[in-house]
Amino acid sequence: MRPFRLSRRTLLKGAGAAIALPTLEAMLNSSGTAFAQGAPIPKRFATFFFGNGVILNRWKPTATGPGWQLTEELAPLSNVKSYVNVVSGYKIKIPNLRGHHCGAAGILSGYPFIALPPGGAPYNSKFGGPSVDQVAADAIGTSTTFPSLQIAVSKRLTRGEGPTLQFLSHRGPDSPLPQEFNPAALFNRLFATFSPPDPTDPRDRLRLSVLDQVRADARRLQAKLGTADRARLDAHLTSISELRTQIMALPPVITSACVPPGAVTETNVDIGGIEQLESVSEAMSELLVLAWACDLTRVASYQFSGSVGGTVYSAVGQTTGEHTLTHDAQMQGQVHDAVVFVHARFAYLLEKLMASPEGTGNLLDNSCVLLCSDVCEGLVHSITDYPILVAGRAGGYLKYPGVHHRSTSADNTSDVLLTCLRAVGANVSSVGAEGGLSSNPCTGIMA
Amino acid sequence: MRRSQATKVAGIKAILRRVGRLLFNLPHVAVYLPGGAPIVKRPLARPTWLVCLALVAATVSGCFGRSEERAFLNNVLPPQGPPDTTVVQRPFEPAPLTMRVLLSWQYRNAVRDLLGAAPAALVTPPPDTTVNGLDAIGAAQLALSQTAITLYEQSALRAARAAMTDAATRSQLVGCAPQSTADQACLSQFVGRFGRLAWRRALADDERAAYVALGVQAATAYNDFYQGAAFAAAGLLQSPNFIYQVEIGRPDPDEASRFKLTGYEIGTRLAFFLTGTTPKDDLLAAAEAGELDTAEGVRARAAAMANDSGAQETTSRFFDEMLQLRDLSQMAKDPATYPMYSAALAAAMREETQRLLQNVIWDQDGDFRQVLDADYTFVNADLASLYGLSDPPPSGFARAPLPSDGRRGGILGQAAFLSLMAHPNSSSPTFRGKFVREKLLCQTIPAPPPDVDTNLPNTTGMTTREKLLAHRQNPSCAGCHALMDDIGLGLENFDGLGRYRTTESGQPIDASASLDSLGNFAGARELGGLLRRDERVTQCFARNLFRAATGHVDTEGESTPIDKIHAGFAGSGYRVKQLLVEIAASDAFRYAAKGVTP
Repeated sequence: MRPFRLSRRTLLKGAGAAIALPTLEAMLNSSGTAFAQGAPIPKRFATFFFGNGVILNRWKPTATGPGWQLTEELAPLSNVKSYVNVVSGYKIKIPNLRGHHCGAAGILSGYPFIALPPGGAPYNSKFGGPSVDQVAADAIGTSTTFPSLQIAVSKRLTRGEGPTLQFLSHRGPDSPLPQEFNPAALFNRLFATFSPPDPTDPRDRLRLSVLDQVRADARRLQAKLGTADRARLDAHLTSISELRTQIMALPPVITSACVPPGAVTETNVDIGGIEQLESVSEAMSELLVLAWACDLTRVASYQFSGSVGGTVYSAVGQTTGEHTLTHDAQMQGQVHDAVVFVHARFAYLLEKLMASPEGTGNLLDNSCVLLCSDVCEGLVHSITDYPILVAGRAGGYLKYPGVHHRSTSADNTSDVLLTCLRAVGANVSSVGAEGGLSSNPCTGIMA
Repeated sequence: MRRSQATKVAGIKAILRRVGRLLFNLPHVAVYLPGGAPIVKRPLARPTWLVCLALVAATVSGCFGRSEERAFLNNVLPPQGPPDTTVVQRPFEPAPLTMRVLLSWQYRNAVRDLLGAAPAALVTPPPDTTVNGLDAIGAAQLALSQTAITLYEQSALRAARAAMTDAATRSQLVGCAPQSTADQACLSQFVGRFGRLAWRRALADDERAAYVALGVQAATAYNDFYQGAAFAAAGLLQSPNFIYQVEIGRPDPDEASRFKLTGYEIGTRLAFFLTGTTPKDDLLAAAEAGELDTAEGVRARAAAMANDSGAQETTSRFFDEMLQLRDLSQMAKDPATYPMYSAALAAAMREETQRLLQNVIWDQDGDFRQVLDADYTFVNADLASLYGLSDPPPSGFARAPLPSDGRRGGILGQAAFLSLMAHPNSSSPTFRGKFVREKLLCQTIPAPPPDVDTNLPNTTGMTTREKLLAHRQNPSCAGCHALMDDIGLGLENFDGLGRYRTTESGQPIDASASLDSLGNFAGARELGGLLRRDERVTQCFARNLFRAATGHVDTEGESTPIDKIHAGFAGSGYRVKQLLVEIAASDAFRYAAKGVTP
């Protein structure tokens, strides 16, 4: 008997709108490696960020190539080692005008950051161009309900030095994207507001009419404004379009991989002044996996802790904020413990991705997750020999089993960003600008 | 000897390379689209060059020692004392205008005044983002994200629905009795009146017609007039004309080189700056009558509005920002070092500082500088215990005198500042000194040198002063740390929670310190006394309030009107109510750089 094949067009005929649907098993080809019509299974991309760097001689493996061994700080990745590429020896090439700002902007975008002239006000900076996750979102996030998600765990961010240190995702210098710190709220945003459209309730139709008029107001206003403000209203208009898409979206279809939990109760409230980092990051990781499995989004940024972050790693017995610890030469042992803890939380995410079936493999087979920080080592604000992990197979684009790839000539970290973008299907010719510009991929981690 | 010279030469070369790169990279600011193509290259204004050069020079000099640093600072920063009137003052160059998102609490207050307190309680505007120290500056630069737009939509729908389903208040809100389900005339009357208040200007005929059409559509769909009014109101509240303070200006009829803000725009600025909410009907009428087109008209209005209770809320929120009091609710303190710390104590700390400010600024209408070294404060039982004061109030807060021979006094002796500018388990002279420099003196501390190495000898068992002295033996750190630590070390009698102590690690604390050329001090009250005599402090305060009022960091081109604002502030005996009026009546508040000509 011929297997039943559903075409996406069949499903959408009734709805009359172009919206993304999750990967129904019935829509795959017989080998489960692509859609029946020949389109490949979508790739996913995320940046996973933590503040204040690593202890390089306890993080970086000695051997290069496929035979690399887990170091103390990479040890938590033992269950997913084959999916992890370690990259070392690369250098941030944007101008090193200010520690932490340079690393964060460099590793997340490749664009020189813009220092906001203080004139007697506190020093601040903004990103000089879009962060790499937003470049990915523009390429592969246009057909999902949410173009991208911004997730955060620790609330102890540095908010006094401008958007560069406070936010991970930037659509441009004036467009930082705020993070969601509350897993329960993220769950509501992703799932609970979905209800099958009721044709008798005019509410959604009226909401769309209102948004149309608001858009007209914005366009009318734009004509009177200067360049910078017009760009801000362009962002406003784009946001309205995205909201309209969400209002019109169908709820996700339940599959073996896309099974939303009944309720998420974790709200990221401190207990006794102590952040619940493990519980929050686990909840967030599970939600990200679910959001990808249900194809609600394909791109995310995950800020475990912030640049120059004051996160206190109480779970490993610490009482001082991490940034302070990194600048105390006597406390590097505690810094190490914190780095191990962070990598264990990263491993949790990768393991959950690996456990989520997709086609003949799993989600991690179709993902590219970039782990990075705002400096190499916090003690010295270094930007050479930058610690980077590129995890996932990206549908076969990345090397598997993963290798330790080292540059011996201080190559540009933006090479790695370029490879990540191309790995997930964003066919850009280059990444970044000026010193951070790269049109040269990191072939060492490409399959 | 030769090797250290060679190292020094190599160091100089490295610095010159960095300086060269800095100068090469700074001349333009480029905004990039995804894909790398720049769309805007704005040349930095000359004053910005000066500041960047200043920063570079400061960084360079920071590597070579303290004396060059001080000499440099004295040359670049504004001189102390009254302005030299024999010097020709710099001609006024107004700053450009940008759209300014309403701050979250202004949004809530506006909805309260437009729809009522119950609907306003339902709104969830997006959180504000601080840039250069103030939310108002972030609001004038940053674009709204999709999350923000969604929150505005939800807020508008909830608030409008709550207002229009409340039978007791909705007929007064609408202002006419509907004669039919989709009574166009009544809807039109409502949209015109409500729209003018919401958008802070009269609606054009086609704008009004468009929202009436929305109202008709909704009323018909639900067969309910008030659902129609709700959707029309929700739409008006989602429009950029509500969400942003739109500031465009028009060509100044008296001066071709600049723009002037319109009456509506001035009225809106006055309302949000002085009362934290949307302009009321009479203020809009004053704008329409041309009252706000003259400096005298603006001054008179501002003087009246400064007595509004809204002015107390806006200044209170300003201090929450400037003194970082908002961070108290998230402050991390080690329970082992400070077992008495709790969220309630943190809240009390904020209340104490706000009460002192309230007392000086509003109850006394007195000299603002008293907050620097006041010999009294306001405590509840927890704070009285923290400070070791006798006679704690049985409940709530009460005014308490501070020991006359004690080191506590003014806001720098209060637990809020002392705890915030500290570590989770210890004090921090560096943070405290940095705060005084940046927030009270408007001085910028240069960046740490790239590849800074904080490798130090073992410091166990040392006092904080001894640990920091070890820091300052490293010449690349000493220049900047001297600026901060010299001040903070004078506050070492106060631990990381603001408690008074005379020993640390079993050793007596030496809290002797100095503040530039102003003199020596020990403790918060003496530091406050020195700051009180320093005009930079009141100038910096005036500049910060000006920034909050206008949404941008004051430029060199605005230095003349800002000097005038400060002179008015000083002349009034440093009364904050007068400072509010001076800012509002200033040319820098009412004029702008040329924009897009309509």
